[in-house]
Amino acid sequence: MKDIVFENVSKTYGKTEVVKNLNFRVREGERLILLGPSGCGKSTTLRMIAGLEEITAGNLYMNGRRVNDVPSGERNVAMVFQNYALYPHMTVRENITYGLKVQKVPQDEIEKRLDHVLEMLQLIGCENRLPKDLSGGQRQRVALARALVKRSNYFLLDEPLSNLDVQLRISARKELKKIHDLYKQTIVYVTHDQIEAMTLGDRIALMYDGKLQMLDTPENVYNRPANVFTARFIGSPPTNILKINYFNGKVHIGSQSFTLSDMWVKHIGRKGTKNLLLGIRPEHIEISAQPLENSLRGKVKYVENQGNEYCVYTNLEGQEAAVISGHNHWRPDELVYLRLSGHRIHFFNAETEKSIGYPEALLDKQSPSHENIGQRMSV
Amino acid sequence: MKTNRMVSVIWHFIIFTTVVILIFPVVFSIGVSFKPLADAYNNVLNFIPFPLTMENYAKLFHTLPVVKIVFNTFIVASVVTTFKLITSFLAAYAFVYFDFKGKRILYFVLISTIFIPFTVTMIPNYLIVSELGLIDSVWGVILPQLADAMGIFLIHQSMRGIPFSLIEAARLDHISHGRVMKDIVLPLVRPSVTSAGIWFFITTWNEFVWPVLILKTVDNYTLPLALQMFISSEGGTDFTVAMAVSVITMIIPLALYLMFQRYIIGTFTSSGIK
Repeated sequence: MKDIVFENVSKTYGKTEVVKNLNFRVREGERLILLGPSGCGKSTTLRMIAGLEEITAGNLYMNGRRVNDVPSGERNVAMVFQNYALYPHMTVRENITYGLKVQKVPQDEIEKRLDHVLEMLQLIGCENRLPKDLSGGQRQRVALARALVKRSNYFLLDEPLSNLDVQLRISARKELKKIHDLYKQTIVYVTHDQIEAMTLGDRIALMYDGKLQMLDTPENVYNRPANVFTARFIGSPPTNILKINYFNGKVHIGSQSFTLSDMWVKHIGRKGTKNLLLGIRPEHIEISAQPLENSLRGKVKYVENQGNEYCVYTNLEGQEAAVISGHNHWRPDELVYLRLSGHRIHFFNAETEKSIGYPEALLDKQSPSHENIGQRMSV
Repeated sequence: MKTNRMVSVIWHFIIFTTVVILIFPVVFSIGVSFKPLADAYNNVLNFIPFPLTMENYAKLFHTLPVVKIVFNTFIVASVVTTFKLITSFLAAYAFVYFDFKGKRILYFVLISTIFIPFTVTMIPNYLIVSELGLIDSVWGVILPQLADAMGIFLIHQSMRGIPFSLIEAARLDHISHGRVMKDIVLPLVRPSVTSAGIWFFITTWNEFVWPVLILKTVDNYTLPLALQMFISSEGGTDFTVAMAVSVITMIIPLALYLMFQRYIIGTFTSSGIK
């Protein structure tokens, strides 16, 4: 089993705890994305897998073996660094084959693997160039090639695409998927870019403040956020989180209210949580200039042009609610009516900020497909 | 346009003057070394002597074992340079890439020894060398000079410029520290190693006070000591022979530099960590 298991893993530098009590498993052959804002501990987590960072407490298992004290060279991992870490004085060929040569891999085998990666990553013709004579995209591919020739069980990538422009990033993402389909290594991929996470990940581990916030498929991370942080972090513009009062089957926001569907009323009743926050994505709010049934009144603050659609920021009883609209009729201070799509609402416990879950009827419904989310978010 | 030309003229004048000031003593000593003694005093400004005389060199080779002295100097300078480079490189590597307790304090103490004047350590060093029975031996000159805090500092500074991820990438490939030093770190810090090496070689080559304390017999002398024999000899200063020694002292490092010039210049121009 080429899996990776974190068991109560913590990492402290002096008195600062950067990774707090991590417990999760990276399954053999999956692409797991470590996602989070900068400083959340995701890179440290990756570096602990690589053996470049000592584990302060807890156990890390790879392939069923505890590796806390196993040097990085013996963990059979390949890594692509954010700055690529190419040896500046070595040619592309030397950079790619250096590790193999030191490991005394037979020369013909080295040549075979070299030819293969050069072809796959379109680096033929660059073999004898120095890194400084390559473009950013080529350097990134050399770094990838150097990691790939090792044929390791584990493939670790630390924000490998963050130095590339958008076009290159899209093609590199495709390339990475292709490579993974070919080699089926266990991939752990660090990024702060949610689109990368959504498009590349089999599962996403969202981290914040050294803690794992949610670990699930991209669909679930997007559609069933486990807490307020996840709801806000994933998606752009972020999920609206509104302070509400809930009683008598109605959600009250300021002086206004709307009626909840029966399944939600039952679900909230079962959970018994009194103090709630309501989350809803901007694209799940319907906006209209005329009153709608079961809607709330708001005022337009300003409108952001997002290319194919518009994001309308509204004032809803003193709270800001962003709404996606297909057209740009909206003028500041205009009165608008907002209807929240009943089965797209999320409720969180206001104290713990954790999701209170979803009515069973909603869980049975199929989530939108993976690809759709990627498209939505790349806007 | 006019001002540009003016600036250029001024710059050329400054550069020309500097070059003359630097070259003058060299030309002067070479000239004097080929003059008869009387001529040297009478025709001071006549830099290029005519007729040439080899008598100063003949006298020098007659009075002193010059080849032996050059050999001694070469041994001292090259052994000291080699060892200083090795110890500086290894120490700098340890300070940059290893974590150990008291690392910062140790480094600070080490670097502060740069500021201790030679005269302070001269006597303790002399006593140690004497206890070891190395008085009047080139090894006595060499021994206290095998490590150098300045060298550690210089190489340490340039090693810190290497992205740490390069070393980590090597660690992931299971590459030993020895290979990392040889294949990755050394090629990247070669400019500073080369400059430190040139600096070590020249200073040791020209060193006077320490060898004069240790070396007693002429057979073990180094070149600066031989030079001194003709400046303060009992029969008065033998000016022209002293210049002949100067020329020999100067010519060897110069010849070495010319031999390795392409390599040395190449080191400085080809470097550059991106």
